[in-house]
Amino acid sequence: MTALLEVEGLVKHFVAGRSLFGRALGHVKAVDGVSFSLDAGKTLALVGESGCGKSTVSRLVLRLIEPDAGTVRFAGRDLLSLDAGALRAFRREAQIIFQDPYASLNPRMTVGQILTEPLALHDLVPPPQRRERVAEILRLVGLEPRLERRYPHEFSGGQRQRIAIARALAVEPKLIICDEPVSALDVSIRSQILNLLRELQDRLGLAYIFVSHDLAVVKHIADHVAVMNLGQIVETAEADALFAAPRHPYSRALLSAIPMPKPRAKRSRIVLQGEIPSALSPPPGCRFHTRCPYVVDRCRSEMPQLVPDGIGHATACHRTSELPSSAAIVPSDGGFSPVLEKLVAAFSGGPEAVRGSGVSSLGTDPA
Amino acid sequence: MSASPLIEIKDLRIRFHGDDGRVTHAVDGVDLSVANGATLGLVGESGCGKSVTSLAIMGLLPKQSAEISGAIRFDGFDLLKTPDQTLRDLRGNRLAMIFQEPMTSLNPSFTIGDQIVETILRHRGGSRRSARERAIELLRRVHIPSPERRIDEYPHKLSGGMRQRVMIAMALACDPRLLIADEPTTALDVTLQAQILELMRELKAASGAAIILITHDLGVVAEVCDEVAVMYAGEIVERAPVDELFAMPQHPYTVGLLGSIPRLDHRAEQLATIEGMVPNMAQPPAGCRFSARCPFVLDDCTKAPPPLVEVSPGHLSRCIRAPLELLVS
Repeated sequence: MTALLEVEGLVKHFVAGRSLFGRALGHVKAVDGVSFSLDAGKTLALVGESGCGKSTVSRLVLRLIEPDAGTVRFAGRDLLSLDAGALRAFRREAQIIFQDPYASLNPRMTVGQILTEPLALHDLVPPPQRRERVAEILRLVGLEPRLERRYPHEFSGGQRQRIAIARALAVEPKLIICDEPVSALDVSIRSQILNLLRELQDRLGLAYIFVSHDLAVVKHIADHVAVMNLGQIVETAEADALFAAPRHPYSRALLSAIPMPKPRAKRSRIVLQGEIPSALSPPPGCRFHTRCPYVVDRCRSEMPQLVPDGIGHATACHRTSELPSSAAIVPSDGGFSPVLEKLVAAFSGGPEAVRGSGVSSLGTDPA
Repeated sequence: MSASPLIEIKDLRIRFHGDDGRVTHAVDGVDLSVANGATLGLVGESGCGKSVTSLAIMGLLPKQSAEISGAIRFDGFDLLKTPDQTLRDLRGNRLAMIFQEPMTSLNPSFTIGDQIVETILRHRGGSRRSARERAIELLRRVHIPSPERRIDEYPHKLSGGMRQRVMIAMALACDPRLLIADEPTTALDVTLQAQILELMRELKAASGAAIILITHDLGVVAEVCDEVAVMYAGEIVERAPVDELFAMPQHPYTVGLLGSIPRLDHRAEQLATIEGMVPNMAQPPAGCRFSARCPFVLDDCTKAPPPLVEVSPGHLSRCIRAPLELLVS
């Protein structure tokens, strides 16, 4: 079976400023040679700090911006050769949801209109049946169909994100790019959206590219992870393998930086010193060498290649084989005591808790 | 911890009067205290009243619309009855605060040096020159590289992590007794967050100041706090030493919060969710405010507001079903 999405050698440099005569003064090397593939029904997470290029990759994959080099193949077709009509047809198959659901919903349209638009645009459902389809999509994301007459401002953040997901689902895509979909939400709402995304994936066979800086969330949702630093993938692996034994010093630093909801957790911590270098002039050699605790001379001059180990784990580090064990970085001694484990299960699984699954009411505002 | 607390909040109530005549009960009967040198985590989701509580301590709530009652005792003052002039002497001096978004709390048209020097001169006096020296020293303490040069830069030239360091330097300018940090790392990348948390721990050890850390991130709480207060709908629903809260939470809301976060050290197929919505604070429910969302609810929960009672020494919960371990054994 060929992969749903194959990305090869993707490059995107943005012009950072121009001289009086229009000559480019500098380039932000946002994406610099990124390759990966994604199978249907799976989730690939792109992780890294702000400015590492993860969002740019997601937009290049949808051809919302044009790459400078590289290829993107979706279900075997070369995306970059598509003309405008074919590109529009492709948009049906790949959708995106953003971090801020409020900014991505038109405040002057009702939810019904928002969801009908893609149906009409791609002529998916004949007009008489559109209403029924909208109701169906709303139920799919756990909202009541009667809410279709309301405007985005009448919803909470979590509900708005459900609407954004509903809009993406309206065209029955094969791939959804989720760009920090839960970062702006409160913790309890965040878990609802994450559960929903997983449930929809199981039910509809969706593939996700999940862009996030939150590795705990990524661990929960991803099958495969690509860690990015300054426009390049530095490590990629199955999620379980990466979280069990991160190899690249940057992945280790990211993982060890996550505060764990467990006081006095026994773990070793790598606190990176210094700032993230600018993508305008990334450091020579390994782009992580300015912050790397294991740096040697070779790292300053020679850029390491992403070397696969033959069992699906690739790392771009000269010192992969010499680094100390990563055992203490992600302790796996289980989160809760047995009693607390039971209590949490009772909290989410009790007969009462099931009662209002999905979101049944729109606030308690009397207005 | 038995010595008299540095700050003691008694029965704090804050109501906002909206233009349309609606009254919102943002904070409803909060009791808190923090000892010298201790760090208290104030946890809760958007709108639970945690930030409003901290603004009340700082005396920064709008007088026209906010009705405040109760008492906030700090260092011999009742901050709610203290005249504005005295409050201005305290703020930035013995009481300091850092906010989530450092860019909006720094003045873009002055250099960071000017802004730190201004604070020092306002509260400590002395010459501009000695204030500048102290400002450089402060920037060095928060690990800003080449502070002699950086001091003359404008905020926009600094990265997010640097700006937050400058905010911390400014807050520390006059050796505060109490530092309130409102989501100080939420806008930062995890790697920078780790740096800032490390810095806060280091500074706390060095200065002995008490810290109230406001956050929604239970991971951050576990890392830096000694004690935790969980807020829900304007009330404290649980309060405990940090180890106890994470080992055995005694309020269903806390249980839900803990179950809903994806964890690195534990794999859950399904995350816990807290169904429903926060009650409308213009008309708070008669009984327990969490009852409508609580899977362990009983009839009695909706009849009268539950009191905050001690479940075990030092561990308080506002739930009539506590101790919760009895529910599953």
